[in-house]
Amino acid sequence: MINSVITGISDVAANVRKIDFKWDQKLLPGQFIMLWYPGVGEIPMSISHLGDPKSITVKAYGTVSSKIMELGKGDRLYFRGPLGNGFNVRGKKRLLIGGGSGMASLHPMIERGVHGIVAGRTSADLIFLDEFDQDRVLAASDDGSSGFKGTALDALKTLDPESFDSIYVCGPEAMMFGIMKHLAGKNVYVEFSLERSMKCGIGVCDSCSIDGNQICTQGPVFSLESVMKMREFGLTRLTTSGKRIRF
Amino acid sequence: MNSERLRTEICGIKLDNPLILASGILDENGYTMARILREGAAAVVTKSIGSDERTGYMPPVVSPGDGYLLNAIGLTNPGIDNYGEEIAIAREVGKPVIGSIFGKDAEEFSTLAGKMESFGVSALELNLSCPHVKGFGSEIGSDPDAVEEIVNEVKRAVSIPVFAKLSPNVTDIVQIAKAAEAADALVLINTIRGMAIDVFARKPSLTNVYGGLSGRAIKPVGVRLVYEVKKETGRTIIGVGGISCAQDVLEYVMAGSSCVELGTVLMEEGKGIFSKVSTELSILLDQLGFDNISDAVGVAISK
Ligand SMILES: Cc1cc2nc3c(=O)[nH]c(=O)nc-3n(C[C@H](O)[C@H](O)[C@H](O)COP(=O)(O)OP(=O)(O)OC[C@H]3O[C@@H](n4cnc5c(N)ncnc54)[C@H](O)[C@@H]3O)c2cc1C
Ligand SMILES: Cc1cc2nc3c(=O)[nH]c(=O)nc-3n(C[C@H](O)[C@H](O)[C@H](O)COP(=O)(O)O)c2cc1C
Ligand code: FES
Repeated sequence: MINSVITGISDVAANVRKIDFKWDQKLLPGQFIMLWYPGVGEIPMSISHLGDPKSITVKAYGTVSSKIMELGKGDRLYFRGPLGNGFNVRGKKRLLIGGGSGMASLHPMIERGVHGIVAGRTSADLIFLDEFDQDRVLAASDDGSSGFKGTALDALKTLDPESFDSIYVCGPEAMMFGIMKHLAGKNVYVEFSLERSMKCGIGVCDSCSIDGNQICTQGPVFSLESVMKMREFGLTRLTTSGKRIRF
Repeated sequence: MNSERLRTEICGIKLDNPLILASGILDENGYTMARILREGAAAVVTKSIGSDERTGYMPPVVSPGDGYLLNAIGLTNPGIDNYGEEIAIAREVGKPVIGSIFGKDAEEFSTLAGKMESFGVSALELNLSCPHVKGFGSEIGSDPDAVEEIVNEVKRAVSIPVFAKLSPNVTDIVQIAKAAEAADALVLINTIRGMAIDVFARKPSLTNVYGGLSGRAIKPVGVRLVYEVKKETGRTIIGVGGISCAQDVLEYVMAGSSCVELGTVLMEEGKGIFSKVSTELSILLDQLGFDNISDAVGVAISK
């Protein structure tokens, strides 16, 4: 277990907080850690900022993430990593599509000239919107409180996907499933960062698996071609007990 | 790669090679088991399944170290009535699937055994030894009377082969092995009790505090227990514990195992380990002059 003192904290959106810490480690965009709050639990978390200091961007969903929100400057972060494969950044004209906290794993790829679709439930849930060139980003919210009223897929449908060299997607599986169907057969390189319940993070417990692939070790990033072959993607998954359910 | 040298069988179940996936590692999801069978495992053992759905412990459920892994997953399982679909998915590959079960007493084990058999598994593995859930596992597996009753009852309840998986956390392994007399084969060993503390956090590394030790570090313990039980009882044994290469497999075989199970090695080597070890094992057997793996069983045991 690695540990590091928190050097800064800032609010990013409603219930979303960026936590900075020192970690002398080379990382790829899309890689993650298993973050431990001693005595409470351990959850997967993308590294949202790869420079110095490094950062994670945490949304408070439940037990562990809410406890992490209570941490302050000077407290210690405990974690295992780096885990996962990371995105292959390629092509000149790139589009990033992030839903909710999924934007955190895409954040390291935001730079001048990169296009974006930032989606969330309401305007308060949109993160890192202001870090894109404002003429290259679309906001989408389910309630229309900011930008486009609709989903990330609705926003994507207003663009020509083949005008991009590459597209990177991270968000809820249902959102990514729709995007996968929309982009299937199009002439553009696409990668998805998948998210499933994780327990071990090291490829032994089978809790994060999809079609025999362990998202924690073989992913979280998969190409459009490999995702299209997955029979479980967007359709069925195991709960934290291992019970199979349909989406 | 499956050479003739590696072809073997356990209690009448034909195996392309002597390598089986151990219980609890990548065997909750039927698609994962199917993938592992396609990547070269001769058979898979499912994760241990009980009567009721259990989420298991809050992570951290693993604490990896150099050459070992500590785990306390907490017998996570969907409950037997929700598990048939996973077995059906794994069985599509056409290789043997072995159903692992755990329970609190002979009656519960028998009920689970009957349901597993109805899902079409080739054999049953009784987890008598899981060291980290109060009331299950070790407390049963270290009590010879309970072991005898469970194995006898399960044998009466089903017609497929029954393997009894024993715990290393006992004083006299031979006594327990004898209590499991009715089993068709013995599986040795499950994890060894252990724990770790994070000194910065001043807390145990695992949520459950205590865990089970597995991986390369435990191989000498496993080899010794297999050797002792084979020498004293002559029973059919499946060896498991810290196997990571062909030489490890042969060590377990020469100590008395007919075939072996691989678990923690998947953490470091991934699912490709089965075909890799098969290839190496075939070459090693050739070098040492064995026509078939079964000729090496127990050869190291001094008479
Ligand atoms: C590879 C990977 C990278 C991740 N990176 C980030 C990141 O950078 N930032 C971040 O904030 N989160 C990230 N997550 C998600 C994060 O791990 C979960 O939010 C966290 O596990 C929730 O745990 P909890 O104990 O706080 O909530 P729990 O108590 O487990 O959950 C409370 C409730 O929230 C719901 N819930 C939990 N997680 C999510 C979710 N992700 N989306 C929607 N509903 C949810 C649950 O279904 C439950 O009803 C990542 C997940 C993965 C697999
Ligand atoms: C994460 C993990 C989960 C396990 N779960 C089970 C289980 O459910 N039932 C069981 O009989 N053994 C279980 N085991 C024990 C293994 O099947 C095996 O006996 C042990 O790990 C030693 O082999 P190895 O060193 O090759 O892993 C588990 C081991 C690990 C590492
Ligand atoms: S989280 Fe355990 S296998 Fe991926």
